[in-house]
Amino acid sequence: MQASDSKKAQQYYKHVSLFWTDLLYLMMSKPYALAAAGPMRKFGTNMKKLTTELIDSNDDLVEFNSKLTEYYKQLTDTWAEAQKQFSKKIPEIPNDAEHLEASKRIWIDIFENYFTTLFDSPKFAENFGKLVASELELAKHWNSMISELLDNANLPTKDDINEIYKELHSLKKRIVRIEKDVNHGTVKRNGK
Amino acid sequence: MVNELKVDPKLVEEFLNINKNIFEAPKLVRAPDEINMDMTPYDVAYSEDKVRLLHFRPTTERQIKTPLVIVYALINRYHILDIHPQKSWVRNLLNQGVDVYLVDWGTPTNADRYLGFDDYVNGYIDNCVDFVSKETGEEKVSIQGYCTGGTLATVYAALHPNRLRTLTLTAPVIDGQKDTTVVGNLAKHIDVDKLVDTIGNMPPEFMYFVFSVLKPFEQGLEKYVNFFKNIHDNDYVENFIRVEKWLSDTPPIPGELFRQWIKDVYQENLLIQSKMYVGGKQVSLKNINMPLFTQVAVADHLVSPESSMPIHYAVSSEDKSLQIYTTGHVGMIASSFSQKRVLPEFGQWLKERSNK
Repeated sequence: MQASDSKKAQQYYKHVSLFWTDLLYLMMSKPYALAAAGPMRKFGTNMKKLTTELIDSNDDLVEFNSKLTEYYKQLTDTWAEAQKQFSKKIPEIPNDAEHLEASKRIWIDIFENYFTTLFDSPKFAENFGKLVASELELAKHWNSMISELLDNANLPTKDDINEIYKELHSLKKRIVRIEKDVNHGTVKRNGK
Repeated sequence: MVNELKVDPKLVEEFLNINKNIFEAPKLVRAPDEINMDMTPYDVAYSEDKVRLLHFRPTTERQIKTPLVIVYALINRYHILDIHPQKSWVRNLLNQGVDVYLVDWGTPTNADRYLGFDDYVNGYIDNCVDFVSKETGEEKVSIQGYCTGGTLATVYAALHPNRLRTLTLTAPVIDGQKDTTVVGNLAKHIDVDKLVDTIGNMPPEFMYFVFSVLKPFEQGLEKYVNFFKNIHDNDYVENFIRVEKWLSDTPPIPGELFRQWIKDVYQENLLIQSKMYVGGKQVSLKNINMPLFTQVAVADHLVSPESSMPIHYAVSSEDKSLQIYTTGHVGMIASSFSQKRVLPEFGQWLKERSNK
């Protein structure tokens, strides 16, 4: 119930933000265009994309926070369980230098065992996978905003560079294939 | 009323000793940055893009003609195979009269994000084998693949069986579904498409996270306490710093290679089913017909033996050996145990199957 209310509130917030951004954009675009006659005009017209990215990233930020909270909860719960187990064992061991090593060993073994069980579990891996995925969603928004700024500044974006990398990769492959054909199936590159 | 705190004086002494050692450490130990990781001399025989083929200089007369090409893993760097004069995999083989080449993958950059299995196997490895074959005049070479390098070597052997005299796989990742390690658990749940599409290459930081969850208390805590306890033992300290430096230096993995790796080996488990495709060709493990030596370690917490062993049963080789060692992933290649057990057996196995 609470989650659905918070979702509704978020949707409402998104709607209100978009409403005002759109309206202000419509109201301002013509006078703004008149004022921004030079290269910054592109920035003026595309500014809305930055706002939209920021608003959209809110949902992903909520998802990221929830997975991060779960991640820390799993760690702290496991720590508490391991500590409980250790506390049961420790009164049996005398508190002197001779037994310090034994206590340390028991502590490490208990904690190692509890944490390895956690890291080996599907529940940890599932949450971790989702945590990384939500972090990547945030990275995507960040990348989009940076791309927008780069594009407005007339600089190559990540997509532009990736396109070149892809082309380079395919060209290199073709060159190696041609070299192999010319050298009858062998490569002669940088050999001593 | 006075509260008396009873503490064993020996405990206090030990605590003070460790404290003293911590302060003395910078005077006694070289900083990791000051350490040159290359031990045994080599020449760069061949290079292509960021990949280098290292040819180690002989330490004794060659006992066998067939050269050995070691395909190192994609994680961390090759230095672990030559980490310490008394624990060096490479030096031991040289001392046994083996002609040793090693593939160093270098450091891929963003420009390498489209490199995939095809480029690594049918490109780099094949070109290295080609070069070694021409340089030595041996039509066939032996290959040894370690860890993820073992997987690459397996795919190479399946696609180019006629180029190999023998194949040795040391802790290879083969059957991803049977892998019971934390690495396998995380790999099965990661959205690799999203990661590669968004970031490009697999960032090293991701690997450091994976290392941190392997044995967090033993590796993250106890070993540092032991380091400070043993700060006056030069050999211990030197070895510790070298291994630590090796652990903290892993290059990125090219995006497309990582994508296919995670999907085909861990998530869809295509390799062991001979359903994986590389460069448009099906990787049929039955094509592997040369002598095969599989080495696994029971205490391997990075690649579980259950994940490596299926290769022994999947190939068509008639001459095949499976050796299970009572050590760990790194212990199998860089320890006193590997010098005494693993390497003599490997050297003997190679000698019996190579051109003299």
